[in-house]
Amino acid sequence: MKTPKKQETFKIKGDRGLRITAWVVTLVAMVFILFPFFMTISNAMKDNVKIYDVPPRLIPESANSLSIVVDYDTQNATEETMRNDMLKAFYGVYTKLTRESIFEIKFYGMHENQVVFFARSHQTQLQMEKDYGIYKGMVLNEKTLLYKDRPARAATKLGYSFNIEGLPNTQAPKSEGKNVDDLVLPVFEGKFPLTGVPSRFVLSKNSLLLLENFVHYMKLPQYMYAQSNPTIAKYGFWTFSGNTVIVIGFAMVSQLLLCSICGFVISRLLPPKQAKFVLLFFLGGMMIPFVSIMIPQLIMYKSMGAYNNYAALLLPFLYPFGFYVYLYKGFFDRIPGSYFEAAKLDGASNFYLYTHICMPLSKPIIALVALQTFLGNWNDFFWAWLVTERQDLWTLNVALFNISNNTGTKQNAMMGIAFITILPVLIVALLFSKQLKASIISSGVKG
Amino acid sequence: MQRSIRNRRYFMRQKLTPWLILFLPMFFTLWLKYYPILKAAYISLFRYDPVNQPGTFIGLDNYKAMFSTKYYWEAWQNTFVFLLLQILMTFFIPIIQALFLNELRRGKNLFSTLYLLPTLIPTTVNVIIWRWIWHPDYGVANQIVKFFGGKEQLWLSDPALVKFCIVFPGVIGGGIAVLLYLSAIQGISQEIMESAALDGCTGFKRIRYITLPNIRYIIFIQLVMAVSTAMQLLDVPYMFAAGGPSGASTTQGIFIYNAFQVDYNYGKGSAAAIILMLVVMLMTMIQMHFEKAERE
Repeated sequence: MKTPKKQETFKIKGDRGLRITAWVVTLVAMVFILFPFFMTISNAMKDNVKIYDVPPRLIPESANSLSIVVDYDTQNATEETMRNDMLKAFYGVYTKLTRESIFEIKFYGMHENQVVFFARSHQTQLQMEKDYGIYKGMVLNEKTLLYKDRPARAATKLGYSFNIEGLPNTQAPKSEGKNVDDLVLPVFEGKFPLTGVPSRFVLSKNSLLLLENFVHYMKLPQYMYAQSNPTIAKYGFWTFSGNTVIVIGFAMVSQLLLCSICGFVISRLLPPKQAKFVLLFFLGGMMIPFVSIMIPQLIMYKSMGAYNNYAALLLPFLYPFGFYVYLYKGFFDRIPGSYFEAAKLDGASNFYLYTHICMPLSKPIIALVALQTFLGNWNDFFWAWLVTERQDLWTLNVALFNISNNTGTKQNAMMGIAFITILPVLIVALLFSKQLKASIISSGVKG
Repeated sequence: MQRSIRNRRYFMRQKLTPWLILFLPMFFTLWLKYYPILKAAYISLFRYDPVNQPGTFIGLDNYKAMFSTKYYWEAWQNTFVFLLLQILMTFFIPIIQALFLNELRRGKNLFSTLYLLPTLIPTTVNVIIWRWIWHPDYGVANQIVKFFGGKEQLWLSDPALVKFCIVFPGVIGGGIAVLLYLSAIQGISQEIMESAALDGCTGFKRIRYITLPNIRYIIFIQLVMAVSTAMQLLDVPYMFAAGGPSGASTTQGIFIYNAFQVDYNYGKGSAAAIILMLVVMLMTMIQMHFEKAERE
């Protein structure tokens, strides 16, 4: 009786070491897997200057909001003066106070102790306007800021409200918190002199502003490509999402339809020998690597006129993928023959058998094929990149690649847009993780 | 008489309908998948002339010329170095992750979901992240190297390091492979496990002597697939370094792309495409053979 007891203790001992190792290994793996996400988010939340800091900080600094209150006497209290002062204040702070993590600037114009002018801007917004917008490629100073119609355009784009009678819902901030006069006043001596009299500056912390970065990163495509492309001007980032949805959606629908029909015919209508031949015909297509046919395919598509349009993006999905046909065939093979015989005795046509017997039963395989198509195409890049020149045809992957290859793109915006791209898919994948896992396991190999 | 005709018609219809239904899918497969590769095989025998297609027939001269260029063999060499690095650095990581994941009593479901995340990150996003990590001036990589007292590197701009940098993101593991291994491990029959435990084969010994031998087939199939994927490497090295610096990351895929789109040598490109397809077909055949063996 002693021996088994000893063995049992041995077993627990041996397993405990293993279990601890298992936890350590899994947790380390989790750190590695989550690190890229963490880095993407953290970099997207840094500002334009801090992202180039060496050594890089892992966690972004908290964001600050700066309020600037400026007094105007009756002579100066016009919309135009205040608007110009606003731009000078915004870009003065933007260009000179780069190390202070000021993500939000609020500008209050006071007249007779009332707020008559109010504007707010986010730092990323100013950065976009400077990199791609009205002030693209300029050395900023009073002259360039206020040249001809630029101030009117910039101010309208950034947004402001003005009412000489006073803005009823806006209150100027009380001077609380840190006194930052020493910090901010020098900004307005020199390149950015204000017309009004700056009366007080209030600096406060608000880390939610870091999240607002993403709202502005979404507008990056508009800033970059709006002039050359009207569709992007209208829909911006959503153009790329829309294209991705169109391509993947079309692939799913066409694969589900074609493969189920082929699988049905092979499984139910053809004699075994012919069935085997047809199946091999479809499976053989799988052996041809994309790398080998991409250019002959491109030449062929170009000669058909399927280049730089949706036809070029969608045509490659118009034939049934061998692997899915194989899956469908195997699935239909497993449906008991008595179902079909009973229906046939009642005079059911093939079409009826397909729509009323096969389709209702094939819910699990529909999920499987749809998810496999999604996984296969979500990462698809090279073909879509080869055949598209027009920006409004780009899928997310192509757009990301082209934006990242543009040397002018700031790294924080790049990371932000990359994160926005994967976020919806991550959420959906986590919601449907059960189905996703089942689909991967039952398909056995990558599609 | 009339009845037999009707009968014959009926059987003809029975025979013909499947083919009528299959006509379009088969036609599209022929047209979109088989025709391009046949065309490539055809072009590879000509000195291609886009104006007077297909140009002059030169037999196997394209192949001969290609085999005698250093650049072509360098592309193969690069491809094999990529393959070797992948097998040495990343291939075994999902196996380890799955083996240890299986030992957890709790959280298996959650962790297996998290292991899926790398599958869902498109290559473009991965490239954006890792190009920033490898950045010589601002990246994390050089900071870590400096921390341990090493010398700063150029990473993606260094021909000696570029392949390592492109393969390295794979060390985070995860992905579909983990799930496949895990399901294979869970598929091992409970009886084997129990009898092994009775014989005192527990803990690490069990992994070494029971679990691993039982999943060696799927490991082998994954290995063959890794080889076949490595042969087709195209977009990852292209996005990271566009085949550079000085051709150090030019794989077979990029070689073919360059032959067509940069050199405009369609004959050479087609010849390389055909050779590559033969290699990939061989790999697929090996894979199919072993998958069949496993099923039986």
